[in-house]
Amino acid sequence: MSDSFGSTALRLDSASPPNDVMIKLEGLRKRYPGQSTDSVRPLDMEIRRGEFVVFVGPSGCGKTTTLRMINRLVEPTSGQIWIDGRDVTHTDPDELRRHIGYVIQQVGLIPHLTISQNVGLVPKLLGWDKKRIEPRVDELLDLVGLDPAQYRRRYPKQLSGGQQQRVGVARALAADPPVMVMDEPFGAIDPITRERLQDEFLKLQQRIRKTIVFVTHDIDEALKLGDRIAIFGESSQLAQFATPLEILSHPADDYVRSFVGTGAAIRRLGLLRVGDLEGAGGGAGAGPALRVPPETTVYAALEQMLDAGAARLAVDGEPGAERSLSLQEMLAAAARGRQVPS
Amino acid sequence: MEFLEYVSRNAQQIIFLTTQHVQVVLLSVAVAAVIGVSLGIATERAPRLRRLLLAFTGTLLTVPSFALFGLLIPVLGLGLAPTVVALTVYAIFPILRNTVTGLETVDPAVVEAARGMGMNSWGRLRTIRLPLAWPVILNGIRVSTIMVVAIAAIAAAVRGPGLGELIFRGLARIGGANALNQALAGVVGVVLVALVLDLLFVLARRLTTPRGLRV
Repeated sequence: MSDSFGSTALRLDSASPPNDVMIKLEGLRKRYPGQSTDSVRPLDMEIRRGEFVVFVGPSGCGKTTTLRMINRLVEPTSGQIWIDGRDVTHTDPDELRRHIGYVIQQVGLIPHLTISQNVGLVPKLLGWDKKRIEPRVDELLDLVGLDPAQYRRRYPKQLSGGQQQRVGVARALAADPPVMVMDEPFGAIDPITRERLQDEFLKLQQRIRKTIVFVTHDIDEALKLGDRIAIFGESSQLAQFATPLEILSHPADDYVRSFVGTGAAIRRLGLLRVGDLEGAGGGAGAGPALRVPPETTVYAALEQMLDAGAARLAVDGEPGAERSLSLQEMLAAAARGRQVPS
Repeated sequence: MEFLEYVSRNAQQIIFLTTQHVQVVLLSVAVAAVIGVSLGIATERAPRLRRLLLAFTGTLLTVPSFALFGLLIPVLGLGLAPTVVALTVYAIFPILRNTVTGLETVDPAVVEAARGMGMNSWGRLRTIRLPLAWPVILNGIRVSTIMVVAIAAIAAAVRGPGLGELIFRGLARIGGANALNQALAGVVGVVLVALVLDLLFVLARRLTTPRGLRV
């Protein structure tokens, strides 16, 4: 049983139905002894298998406490935690944590162990034999973009902050856990490296399809990474739990609106793809058109049109299904669904 | 040189006493290390008890060694037993103190990450916290050793083993033939033992500090 989630090869795609619930929190609440208010108010949440959920909010909003209740580093005062259909509220916490990848801001690599030993830690705790751990470590280093031959035998101090966090991610993935919890993993990394790690991590996630719960205080990071975002309010209340597009299009209240900040309409364009724009299109219009593939974001398309001075956009597609949009039509389509139904 | 002549004539006895001295010191420090490190670990979840122990063992250090040796005579008699007990008592504090400090200075993020990966508290202690605290603990053992090398010379007052015998005998018949040389041989011996042990600790530190901490 101790190895039930382990497998040598990474799962490249999930065979399970997309709506399968992986993590379920039921009335999860935390009140620390001696305090008169809850640090986390009773929270209900369902996170689907393979979903990337980001908790975002100001400090003290309970997002980290909630995250840490999932792998029971914080024991809930009341409520239940279900993972993959199993109630894990009262199971052995060490055993539970061996099947949940954990990444923290400070990385926390063990300084006197080599990179290889650090990555192989959880497999070792699970009792894998050496012959199985070694190739697995190399596979993971490779996966996070570190050459195994070069880094395997190094020590954490010999790596830069960004490289250390790559190892941190590799370590969390070592035993192929179905769930990962990440506490501001890129928070202490310089902006340029952070952006690169985010991009790479998104690509990685497309391949490995883990169920991820990720905490950040940076709304831009949340919008960029999350399939869904949970915005926590000051009083540890869930203000909105929705997709980035939904949050930008229909913020639940003024709190969410102000938390997202200015430029929501523009930022939305970065999430919309030209191929998804409804209406319009069809025949070719007047004027030179800029050709783009359908997965281009509206934001990128507009930028290219401004650069090229083009007034029309031609979206690639199956022969005969190509579409052409004028600037006017694009903006109208992008704005559709934006109106708050009230 | 009268002194060197004395030393060479009594080389056999001096070497014998020096060996005894080193043995009794190492034995006491070894016992103290086991007690000190164990107490440091055992009291982790009892901070009050830990403070109490630190205060108590620290206070013991202020008892003059001559008095402590004397006080142990009614209980343990003369010779090896009171010597080892007294030296152990003195050696505990620096080791306990450094064990506590060493464990406290381990980066909490490292321990937290290990906990989050499902390593239990014994595993964290054994594979992370003790190895990382080790250089500090070893330094405590070193301080204890040097201190106890000097105190062991007083053990001759209770017929304990070691170089103290030369010092006490020499001083008892000061003015007599070779009395000063005899006392001096004891003192120089103690100093040399301390120096050599100190050097050995530097070496031990190098050899036992995990590689990842030195890079």
